[in-house]
Amino acid sequence: MAPVGSTTTTASPPRTAARPSRARSGSAKMLARRGRTGWIFIAPFAAVFVLFLVAPLAYAFYLSLFTKGLATGTVFSGIDNYVKAFTDPSFLNGVWFVVRFSIVLIPVQMLVSLAAALVLDALTTRLARFSRLMIFLPYAIPAVIGALMWGFLYSPTFGPLQQLFSLFNAQAPFLLSQGNVFAGLLNVVTWQWAGYYMIIIFAALQGIDPSIYEAAKLDGANWWQVAIRVKIPLVASALVLILVFALIGTLQFFTEPQVLAPVANGTITPDFTPNIYAFNLAFSYAQFNYASAISFALGIVVFIAVYIFMFATRKRGSLLK
Amino acid sequence: MALVATVAAMALAATLAGCSQGGGSDAQGASNPKLTNCTNKMMNDAPQVSVWAWYPNMAKVVDNFNRAHKDVQVCWTVAGQGGPEYAKFQTAISAGKGAPDVIMLEADQLTGFEIQKALVDLAPYGANDVKKNFSDGAWKDVSQGSSVYAIPVDGGPMAMIYRKDIFTKYGITPPTTWAEYAQAAEKVKAAGGPLFGDLGSNVPAAITALMAQKGAVPFTYNLQDPKNISINLDSQPSKDVLDYWAGLVKKGVVGTQDQFTTDYIAGVVGGKYATYVSAAWAPGYLTGAGVGKGSEKGSFAVAPLPQWNAGDQVSVNWGGSTFAVTSQATNKKLAAEVAKGIYADDASLTDGWKTQTIFPLNQGVLKSDAFINNPVDFFNGQTANKDIYIPAENNYKGFNYSPFSVYYYAQLQAEIVKINAGKISGSQAATDLQATMVKYAKSQGFTVK
Amino acid sequence: MTETLEKTARPVDAGRSTPLRTARKPRNVIAHLFLVVLVIYFLVPVWWLLVASTKNAPDLFAGTGALWFGKDFNLFANLADLFTYNGGEYLQWLGNSVLYAVSGGVGATVIAVLAGYGFAKYRFRGRNFTFALLLGSVMVPLTALVIPTFVLLSNLGLTDTIWAVILPSLLSPFGVYLMRVYIADAVPDELLDASRVDGAGEFRTFFTVALPLMRPALITVLLLSIVGTWNNYFLPLAMLSTSKLYPITVGLGLWSQLASSNNGGSHSLWSLIIVGALVSIIPLIVAFLTLQKYWQGGLSLGSLK
Repeated sequence: MAPVGSTTTTASPPRTAARPSRARSGSAKMLARRGRTGWIFIAPFAAVFVLFLVAPLAYAFYLSLFTKGLATGTVFSGIDNYVKAFTDPSFLNGVWFVVRFSIVLIPVQMLVSLAAALVLDALTTRLARFSRLMIFLPYAIPAVIGALMWGFLYSPTFGPLQQLFSLFNAQAPFLLSQGNVFAGLLNVVTWQWAGYYMIIIFAALQGIDPSIYEAAKLDGANWWQVAIRVKIPLVASALVLILVFALIGTLQFFTEPQVLAPVANGTITPDFTPNIYAFNLAFSYAQFNYASAISFALGIVVFIAVYIFMFATRKRGSLLK
Repeated sequence: MALVATVAAMALAATLAGCSQGGGSDAQGASNPKLTNCTNKMMNDAPQVSVWAWYPNMAKVVDNFNRAHKDVQVCWTVAGQGGPEYAKFQTAISAGKGAPDVIMLEADQLTGFEIQKALVDLAPYGANDVKKNFSDGAWKDVSQGSSVYAIPVDGGPMAMIYRKDIFTKYGITPPTTWAEYAQAAEKVKAAGGPLFGDLGSNVPAAITALMAQKGAVPFTYNLQDPKNISINLDSQPSKDVLDYWAGLVKKGVVGTQDQFTTDYIAGVVGGKYATYVSAAWAPGYLTGAGVGKGSEKGSFAVAPLPQWNAGDQVSVNWGGSTFAVTSQATNKKLAAEVAKGIYADDASLTDGWKTQTIFPLNQGVLKSDAFINNPVDFFNGQTANKDIYIPAENNYKGFNYSPFSVYYYAQLQAEIVKINAGKISGSQAATDLQATMVKYAKSQGFTVK
Repeated sequence: MTETLEKTARPVDAGRSTPLRTARKPRNVIAHLFLVVLVIYFLVPVWWLLVASTKNAPDLFAGTGALWFGKDFNLFANLADLFTYNGGEYLQWLGNSVLYAVSGGVGATVIAVLAGYGFAKYRFRGRNFTFALLLGSVMVPLTALVIPTFVLLSNLGLTDTIWAVILPSLLSPFGVYLMRVYIADAVPDELLDASRVDGAGEFRTFFTVALPLMRPALITVLLLSIVGTWNNYFLPLAMLSTSKLYPITVGLGLWSQLASSNNGGSHSLWSLIIVGALVSIIPLIVAFLTLQKYWQGGLSLGSLK
């Protein structure tokens, strides 16, 4: 967006730096100077970024190139840790779990959020406004506390599910057992995050020019058709964005299983997800070198997954504009 | 703009607050600056020693210590309980900073930290002055040869808590051998009674102790010979013990619920388990968890742990804690004073056992009349200390822990989960466990014999 | 954390004023039913929390009526217990959470706004590359960063201080992305140029011209940053060891560990944890409700690209 037409005054503006500015606002020198100012705006962020992301990342990568044995010292081992990671059944099983989990969770979450957003977009009753807030509410609850709550709710002795079943003298399925933990976790995460995604989609929907709907109705479209043919395509870029970040977040699944592990009767093992595995390697087994390698290996997996996804949806919206 | 002004003001305020807070953790030398963020208050201006501990009555214990000492003051905080505290300690070790001067550690964790040179040998600091206060077994757990890495506080000699009412109802007398235990379990089940016990996957320390009771020596490790280790998890005794419990699970006479959960407690309260194979701190744990307040009040008693051979008196230990001095301590001499003195005075120990918070290992207490003859409320007045726990503690011979207890426990837990799911036999679990641990030890650079 | 803002050249308008009123009655009923079902689903756990907060420990584990009140109404007793346990530990934690969330959140927003503006409105070498780097940074698992960050902060002597939590919280790549996207459309270059032509310097232009136009997005980023820092568990858990500095998430986590092995001594911590959880979600809810009008209706939206 180049600056439009330039009618610079010739007198040097008293408030700028004492430099007589006879140049036009579109001149290279001016742009260059402004470019430098751009860096000033970015500087604080750059500082924090380097300090708390780049530097630790570099150090973590450095760590991952060494191996530490409890009995031996720390030894340089190059990419050995990475080879070990990608052949480690614990890591691979964890990856398989989060991939499966993402494949199921993300569509489910999106469907719920999308449906809710569409409905809320169409209604303006008080119930709708109230619902909007209530659906968003779980997001205000820290994931740790939400998981603690669900731990109680899932209790085979005290949970409401169990109490419901006991009315019929039956035993409720334990939602954190080996067979059910997938569904159990799916529920917790959907509950926690669907509202958040819903609000985003809703905001995007609210931004659609209403005249488009008029045009569609003139063409004879009913509510359903408007939703599918008009609304969804128009919020596609927002959808893609959420999907990418949901994908990244889910592949890095950590908090909920970590918090629920003590009440899951052994189902949630120390290597349940790659992130949990990295955490335990670092903090329980004192193997931070390998833990760093696992984290980076996970990062590689995430990168590949996101790349595939972006490639598949390249027509629908670009993140980098 | 208002926003900017607010931000600027906050930044300034925060900076000033931060300035006044800093300086504690990167102290250097013997000057011992004041530590900040202690949960307790100081009683005088003596140099401070930081302590991490999670005893429920620690506030009193710290106050008792601080009142009695003019040369040093304790600055205490709860950095977590068990695993999370160890994780923080581990982080501090890796980073080289951030560890407390004195830390509460369970005995099975000591070797793992000793091997990382994170703990200070207390022998040069007079540790042996207090050796006489503890049984041989207790002292062995904190020593490596002539080095002493921690001072014991409490322990967990194991015994069998049982429900008198259930035993009476089904005509059972407390089993003295494991064979009798299994028979009693089946008898109760056949008569339509509750489960006889519970094999929780999250109590690997207890299961290891039970394996040791039959003579298993899972690990032989000596810090003086740091690179060598012997691992014998698939010895016949280990297999026998795991097979035994797997058998009970298969027959449906014991539960598979994780312990230390509200669900387990609900089971105990509701009489779902006829026995609870546990340690001396169990009454305190159960009472605090709300057991013994309702109709089940007064129905509990305790009997010695069943043996493998009639007449044996093999004693094993589950849990228990110590205080160790970390290698990051600023003033090791003072820290050693604290480690030796804290929770070692009469007032604290008495409070500890009277509130059933700990089973003290201090021989002074164990030999005192008050403790010996204490009618334990939870057991309806039974003199459990005299009859059961003190003899068990005195018989305890100590245990040889590996330098990777956390990893080992996690693997054992995974095996128990499989046993409980009926997927695997006890012997198979032992064999698998052996393979996993040998592989791990080798990957850590140990020579496994 | 994800968020998106659509841009518009039009000024803020408080949501659409002409909703689709042509929805037919039956559809309305179905739609409303659907909403009711959703609301119930999302509210049941919160309702449970509310009900559980009014019970004392025995009632909690009585095994009956998880979703309805117990015999006694103990809410106020529980609250009193909560605020006095261990010398007011909980209030300390609540205060810490507020401190971290507000300073971290405000700080992150300021930085994100500045950076977003810089990315959006200035051309300089390496801009696109830096921006791509930004998005890539989101893909890094945090677990990789914890120990190195700990090492870094301990070298600065800042671990186990409030700064160990606040400083890393200032990093908000999402915030930068959002601001950049929003500013690129909501702040027309023409306005900026006009201001420059009038003789204003870059910073003055920023403050007087650009900033007011960014408000909806700014509030959104502020809210998300505050929420993000408030909810943060893993970072403070790793950086802090003295319980006095814990935020509410770590504090409740600590109580939960203690409660499981029943280390509260004779005090059952479960009721404290539940009531503590209830109280902890109130500040955020209040924040949402008050800021709601800024960010819900205020996300002015035009055509989407």
